[in-house]
Amino acid sequence: MADSQLEATVAASAFQKQWFADLRRRVFDDRQPYALLQADVPFELFDLVDIPAVSNQWWAAIVAAKRQAPKFLDAMDADGLHGDLCRYCSLGYASTRYPDAGDSPWGGLPTPRLLCARLTCDCIHRVFSLWAATFGAELFEIDHPGAGDLPPRWWELGRHNWRELVEPHRLAFVVATLERLVERLEAISGRAFDRRALRQRLELVNQQEEVFDAVRRLIAAAPECPVRMTEQITNVMATQWVRGSEWALAHARAFHDEVKRRVDDGVAACPGERARLMWIGAGLWHDTAFYTAFEASHRAVFVWSMYLAFGPDGYIRYGLEDPMAALASRTASFNEYLHNPPWAAAWIVHQAREHRIDGALVLRPRSMKPGATGRLFIERALEDAGIPVLPIDADVVDARGWDADGARASVRAFLDTRVF
Amino acid sequence: MQEPHIVVSWPSVPVEIVRATGFRTVLARGALGPTPGADAHLEPGIFPSRLRRLVEDALTGRLALAARIVVPRTSEADYKCFLYLREFVRKDVATALAPIVLFDLLQSHGPDVPAYDVARVRALLDDLSSASGRIPSADDLRRELTRANTARAAARRLVALRCPVPRVAGAEVLPLLAAFWEMDPDRYAEMVSDAATRIAARPPLAGPRVLLTGAPVDGHTLHESIESHGAVVVDEVGPWGSGAAGEDVRIDDDPVAALADKYRADSIGARTPVGALRRLTQSRLDEVDAVVVSLPPDDAVFGWDYPALRDVLNARRIPHVCLRCDPYERPTSADHAALDAMVSAASQLQEARHG
Repeated sequence: MADSQLEATVAASAFQKQWFADLRRRVFDDRQPYALLQADVPFELFDLVDIPAVSNQWWAAIVAAKRQAPKFLDAMDADGLHGDLCRYCSLGYASTRYPDAGDSPWGGLPTPRLLCARLTCDCIHRVFSLWAATFGAELFEIDHPGAGDLPPRWWELGRHNWRELVEPHRLAFVVATLERLVERLEAISGRAFDRRALRQRLELVNQQEEVFDAVRRLIAAAPECPVRMTEQITNVMATQWVRGSEWALAHARAFHDEVKRRVDDGVAACPGERARLMWIGAGLWHDTAFYTAFEASHRAVFVWSMYLAFGPDGYIRYGLEDPMAALASRTASFNEYLHNPPWAAAWIVHQAREHRIDGALVLRPRSMKPGATGRLFIERALEDAGIPVLPIDADVVDARGWDADGARASVRAFLDTRVF
Repeated sequence: MQEPHIVVSWPSVPVEIVRATGFRTVLARGALGPTPGADAHLEPGIFPSRLRRLVEDALTGRLALAARIVVPRTSEADYKCFLYLREFVRKDVATALAPIVLFDLLQSHGPDVPAYDVARVRALLDDLSSASGRIPSADDLRRELTRANTARAAARRLVALRCPVPRVAGAEVLPLLAAFWEMDPDRYAEMVSDAATRIAARPPLAGPRVLLTGAPVDGHTLHESIESHGAVVVDEVGPWGSGAAGEDVRIDDDPVAALADKYRADSIGARTPVGALRRLTQSRLDEVDAVVVSLPPDDAVFGWDYPALRDVLNARRIPHVCLRCDPYERPTSADHAALDAMVSAASQLQEARHG
């Protein structure tokens, strides 16, 4: 039984903590710029001009995991920001706006030189404008043109035929916006942006995601799941924020090799596995123990989340003659693939079949309003495919309304009545 | 025979384009009442009433006679509604449904946005032209711009009778102003001019003058509730009341570009840049005595602006109330008590100001 964590998982956690300490030293001691980004912004552009970048969602997950979110969110409430506003994308802002309300992990976020966000949900413009004003920092926005053409099976088109995925006018718009972003990054960093380096970086991103694809196949095919979903997420997240870097590629390979050893040795996360579960939605960052809570009682293992699966299908782009266009094609419809019809449901059902999923838990986010769309289409598609679904009402960072015992009881009942 | 029309989910689709291609605009509006068909597909608490009704109508065949359903990119909920409608067609869930079109007008300040928007307006023009078979020339478009500007001027005369000296209740005037989006502009100008002449002869209304802001309301239920306390709603931040007509569209060599600029800058919705909305709201504060901020349960956007607005209102000693109720339902007793207290405070300040 895999009671201990993978060495790769320990290394990934240590890397993230050290990376953040280095960032703070770099900002405070060396007065170097860094950037604060939404998770769907192309981090590669920042890294190539040596501007390290922190993901808003990663930081929110860390704050939630350190059990500081309720304090910052209480401060938001007290300031008159009503409880139906998105907490996931704004928890980082709250930790900056109300610094005395809680203890920010690892000394807190230093002041960034630049904030950058794609304008997906309507609140993003608001949250990032407030956050930039609080920091007194610059904000760069990447507008999000809507998709009018909706080719099915996007995950098959994305690798080689990515130009067919995004209408030419949308692709041109995103390319133009990314070019403007590059101009700003060059001005901030004082470094020239090297387009050959971008192509090389994207080739390395492809390699990294190919490794994750191999990990995904190992997990899907193994008789029993070799690595818990929480560990998958830790390893994927640590590398995604610095994707295509030397460390990221080496770490992805180390992760793959360790998982493969487990498969070869017949090591299972939960020996005697009886049910393979998938988690649909963002991670439940304030209660990650939820994901292992059904192993002892039901031999039910969470096998799949979008975090590992989306990398290979969402990021790989072959044919990099125009690397900025390839990057833009990945950026343009990021959210739609994950959440909305027709893309999300078809992909998730496909993944469920590949992973021999017995039951799906679908997050019903309490406050992420547009981010919560598409859920009913996904639930219906899974049920139609014969995969029972249990919706879980939760906020991914706000533990205040979370009924941990009640949720666990409902999952146990779901396993007893619908899965077994 | 029913006039050729298109159904629009939010008033940010150029009426000039719609008219020039031979159609009339019919706007989706919120209302009370069950939407069982929509509820099976739309997640609760996310989609406002007007979109739930739109989907209900789509699923029950009530939009079968529309030439197009045009969904502008004015909010993420509208965009998601577009994706859902397309999926209903793909899955044969909705059988009698007009082609669904995304009008992808962006409103951010990026330097590439204006050209993108011009292309989107042109694409809309092409699509509606293909639907009607009527291809308007630049002169045809300029003629529609002129007609709509005449209607705008008439609407502005009516707006001037609301503030600073109110002669008409908000609940009465809101439907007149909102009709800008759906009526023939010549008939609208005539109707509104007649109304303005009649209203101008009325005595001024007493009571504190209220600005209604927050999430825009498309009906007058909330106005009635506020005015039942003795106040007068004299202005709204949104596309339905005083903001319906707005400023004229410039008339020059490129009417498509003029329309793109106008609707990008003037469309009020969830994706209107916060700075523009803040300036708009604050510019209205000089001539009101109180402010009501409507933040309904589906609000995901306007609540973010509230603390800054509250601080401005407190600094200027303007009483205000923040309502979280559904604007199509009657406010709760607690909301009424808050409105009562706001109107009392505003009345006292009014009296103090006027001796």
